[in-house]
Amino acid sequence: MLEVLHSLLFSTLDAAPALVFAALGAMLSERAGVVSVGVEGMMRMGAFCAAVAALAIPTPLAVLVGMAAGAGLAAVHGFLSIRWRSDQVVSGMALNLVAMAGGTFLLESLFGPNGTPAITQLSRWDLPGLAGVPLLGALSGHAAPTYLALTLPFLFHLLLSRTPLGLRLRAVGDKPHAVATLGLSVSGLRWAAVLGGGLMAGLGGAVLSTAVLDRFEQHTPAGLGFMALAAMVFGRWTPLGAFAAALFFAFGNALRIGLASSAPWLLELVPQGFLLALPYLLTLLVLALQGQRGHAPAALGTPYEQESR
Amino acid sequence: MGERTRQVLPSVLSVLLALAVCWLTIALTRDADTATKAYLQMLWGGVGNWPAYLEGGNANSVLRPLGEAAMKAALLTLTGLSVAVAFKVGLFNIGAQGQMIWGALAAALVGAHVSLPAVLHVPLALLAAAMAGAVWSSIAGILKLKRGVHEVISTIMLNWVAVSLVDNWLVIGPLRAVAQGHQSSITGTPEILSTAQLPRLLGDSSRLNLGFPLALVAALAVWVWLSRTRSGYETRAVGLTPEAARAAGIPTLWRAGGAMALAGALAGLAGAVLVLGTEGRYPGSLGAPYGFDGIAIALIGNNHPLGAAVSAAVFGILRAGGTRMQLLGVHKSFPELIQGFALLFVAGRMVWLALLNRRRARQAAVEVPRA
Repeated sequence: MLEVLHSLLFSTLDAAPALVFAALGAMLSERAGVVSVGVEGMMRMGAFCAAVAALAIPTPLAVLVGMAAGAGLAAVHGFLSIRWRSDQVVSGMALNLVAMAGGTFLLESLFGPNGTPAITQLSRWDLPGLAGVPLLGALSGHAAPTYLALTLPFLFHLLLSRTPLGLRLRAVGDKPHAVATLGLSVSGLRWAAVLGGGLMAGLGGAVLSTAVLDRFEQHTPAGLGFMALAAMVFGRWTPLGAFAAALFFAFGNALRIGLASSAPWLLELVPQGFLLALPYLLTLLVLALQGQRGHAPAALGTPYEQESR
Repeated sequence: MGERTRQVLPSVLSVLLALAVCWLTIALTRDADTATKAYLQMLWGGVGNWPAYLEGGNANSVLRPLGEAAMKAALLTLTGLSVAVAFKVGLFNIGAQGQMIWGALAAALVGAHVSLPAVLHVPLALLAAAMAGAVWSSIAGILKLKRGVHEVISTIMLNWVAVSLVDNWLVIGPLRAVAQGHQSSITGTPEILSTAQLPRLLGDSSRLNLGFPLALVAALAVWVWLSRTRSGYETRAVGLTPEAARAAGIPTLWRAGGAMALAGALAGLAGAVLVLGTEGRYPGSLGAPYGFDGIAIALIGNNHPLGAAVSAAVFGILRAGGTRMQLLGVHKSFPELIQGFALLFVAGRMVWLALLNRRRARQAAVEVPRA
């Protein structure tokens, strides 16, 4: 039993970083008032560019390339939605489509349909002293992103709740006109949040191709970006909430895979498809019970126009 | 520019611009000649190879491509309508995929397990699919209206629930076709009965079936409903300004819920057309992300029912013809790339409208002193 729980925790911690980073990135952008449905596309670009870069340069540096790629796609989103006040959802979905088709095209014309060649994975770290401890030992033996994913949400929490910059970012998502009245740049703050969100989404994608897998495949990230969006909403647009929700989703996934291998008898009783649907059903249930009115940033999705009031 | 032109022009220019960008991409990675030839192949693959036919070729060289394009266009029209109808009431339906899955399953079950004459069987299967889709979308609608759960999130969740329950359980478990003899590798639900098949319209040479006219009728019906009936007008009013609509005594909740249910019904019909028209059963999985394509189709079609039908026709042609590009070694995902870029340019239409205006303003400024 303990062994099963251990391996469940281990695979949760292995799979969670991508979701955590992407959810944090989406949250950053949305707290500043810019809808972030393009996260999936940014992850895909990040994953692809990181994998390609890792063929030539050391993998940790390649992860940075993946982050830059995510930010590059986010810049397009920023250009359209901040500079030109386009519909943010349309722009985000367009990015997803372009990244989906473009990623497939680039992959197949450069490497063929089976994905990029194998790259050197990010190295895994053993935490001294923890490896033998039951349950806590599951913390040991992960790649660096896992440890980053366990700390970053708290840093984001401090950033948003304790620093002037965080206050301004939140204000720009709730009452941009008030921020402008103080002489701060609405578009500057939104640009920072959108680009930061792109870096995080790119990181989330890069983790998939450099730590979870050792290559970019056709179906990376397979809807994880949308799952990250859901985690963010589930977590009520807060860093710690998004973190908890992302861990929950990752656990649900690990549970499904883990049970299939360790407890086949359970699958006789409960169909795997039902287990697969469970995290989403639970999320829907929780959202239905708590309701979601009043959690989203007030100015989310509304382009800022100085003249309008 | 008239009002209508101003609404249609951005979409048309966006598609042309996307075509140009992708042509340039092929030209840069290969050469200009290949790019042009690939586009011609795409065109012949979509609308039929007329030059070959007129030179005395086989009629199949025209009928088959047209049929494939119409088939794809039918699915794109229905999912596009689904997204567009929800948009009209101010809801963003990302869940067309899930609604389509349940529609396809319902159609496959009614098609396989009910025996009726074709005149009744086909309508019954279509009705079941529409109902299944409507029920599924109504979950998101009710969550939105009663509990304020954002529909983008609930429809994404419902997509996954649908995929998990149907693709990963029902069609490989309880509803899987019983293997007969050596066909043990069979996937999906049992084959539908011949009475439930959508009739082919061009004989055996083309897969064009009743689904295409059906989709066109649906587009027309949605357009008439939105622009000519009271409830359609009220639905649009709710989408434009909910507060004003409520103040005017329009039952906003009912209109929003109704639009969401209709969106689900249309996506469900898309599932039925896929199953009854081409697949013949619920396959192991639905395959392509038809629901997401619907988002692009609706937005490029300016959320207008007829616009969605036109944009679906254009991309149906490109999709059907896209496979032909492979003859020249050009990758077949270009139609999707064109679709993505077109949507990106639709999103960015303010940019190039501004560029056009600036140019016009500069010309005007030059002309004034001369006069």
